[in-house]
Amino acid sequence: MSSKPEAGLLNLFDPEVAAAPQPHFKEMRSRCPVSRNGLNGGAVLTRYEDVIHALRHPEIFSSEMGAASIGNKRPLIPLQLDPPQQTRFRKLLDPLFSRKRVWRLESEVRELANQLIDQFVDHGECEFNHEFAVPYPCTVFLRLMGLPLEDLDTFLGFKDNIIRPDVDVNDLEQAQRIRNETGEKIYAYFENFLEERSLRPKDDLITHFMTAEVDGEKLTREEILDICYLFLLGGLDTVTASLGCFVSYLAQNPDQRRRLVESPSLIEPAVEEMLRWETPVVQVVRILKQDTTVGGVELRKGETVTLVLGSADTDDAEFVDAARVDLERRRNRHLAFGGGPHRCLGSHLARMELRIAMEELHRRIPVYAIRPGESPRYSPAIREVVYLPLFFGEGVGA
Amino acid sequence: MKVHVDLAICVGHGRCYELAPEVFDESESRGHCVIRHAEIPPELEDQARRAVENCPEQALRSEEG
Repeated sequence: MSSKPEAGLLNLFDPEVAAAPQPHFKEMRSRCPVSRNGLNGGAVLTRYEDVIHALRHPEIFSSEMGAASIGNKRPLIPLQLDPPQQTRFRKLLDPLFSRKRVWRLESEVRELANQLIDQFVDHGECEFNHEFAVPYPCTVFLRLMGLPLEDLDTFLGFKDNIIRPDVDVNDLEQAQRIRNETGEKIYAYFENFLEERSLRPKDDLITHFMTAEVDGEKLTREEILDICYLFLLGGLDTVTASLGCFVSYLAQNPDQRRRLVESPSLIEPAVEEMLRWETPVVQVVRILKQDTTVGGVELRKGETVTLVLGSADTDDAEFVDAARVDLERRRNRHLAFGGGPHRCLGSHLARMELRIAMEELHRRIPVYAIRPGESPRYSPAIREVVYLPLFFGEGVGA
Repeated sequence: MKVHVDLAICVGHGRCYELAPEVFDESESRGHCVIRHAEIPPELEDQARRAVENCPEQALRSEEG
């Protein structure tokens, strides 16, 4: 037996596929919309209709621990709990990340975007990932949490070891070992940090978690750790990945870029359309709590089910002319932030950060391209553009 | 024209109050959909329709009339 993953889902872990996954999604949907090429031979759902069905039915498609192993010892809160326990925590967390609340940060976030742009605007070129896409959302996140900015590299090391451990894609055992070791370090870091915060409380989210009550009960130390663990992964990776995907797309599609520069009011729908087309978080995993049937395929209790959000978001059955990137798309019910009760908690913050970044970048650097002779490098699973060389010096064009 | 929201399905994506802020608001508690008008004024009908079309959960429904 070959250890190489079969054609189908697992080739999404190939960086070349990650660079342009949409045609592969199309092929998966037409050849076998519900396949068994997933994790541990589990099912893979690729149609919009099936994916949204699974997202909306956590009592069948559970996201409890076991669905995905990312180095944690206890369920991540709230992601790896199902309603009604999950609801208890979302009641506490949702108001902290509401649209109104996050837009209060607008001027601070805009200033940060400009400070970062200041550092490379006169150079005529930059490596966008390290010079903007990483520091921008990470700085916002660390300030919000109250975590020290000087520990950013430590946090980035943690989340990269969990999300994309630096081993051969087929060496699952070694990958798991790295994840478990890193998990221990994450718990230890936050244990320490909570200890310090309990002595010196501040006006930040972590202090808030230590005093807040849900349904009249305070959070336990372990519950706070389980929230922090998840926030570290969600807060440090996804907006970075989205920014890289967007800017890489626009650098390679100058007509679309020009439209954004000429009509900044297009940025709101354009962010949604690029979220749809790029869907940086390609897939999420669930575990079956009971037998069920999807698209005529019988699935059994205990099976792992992978929901390919990226495929759902490029499904012609849901989106008019799905393969066309239409920055003014009128109906766009994309699932880039998932759906159902686990809808991305940070979606309002992410949207604000993305919109402000697109506005400021195109205001200050209206013309840019991929540096001649080079090409962007994508990492799979969560599609961070780990290397994105941009050129905007003399002779770049219009 | 009227719009209805099924709050058992709404999970707070917030597309409605983003796209049609004069028709919808966000609930203080969890950012769920709040409808501002029992009857949608004619000049807001287009944004209301747009919000209905863009709800990822399909929790909104419009009633033309």
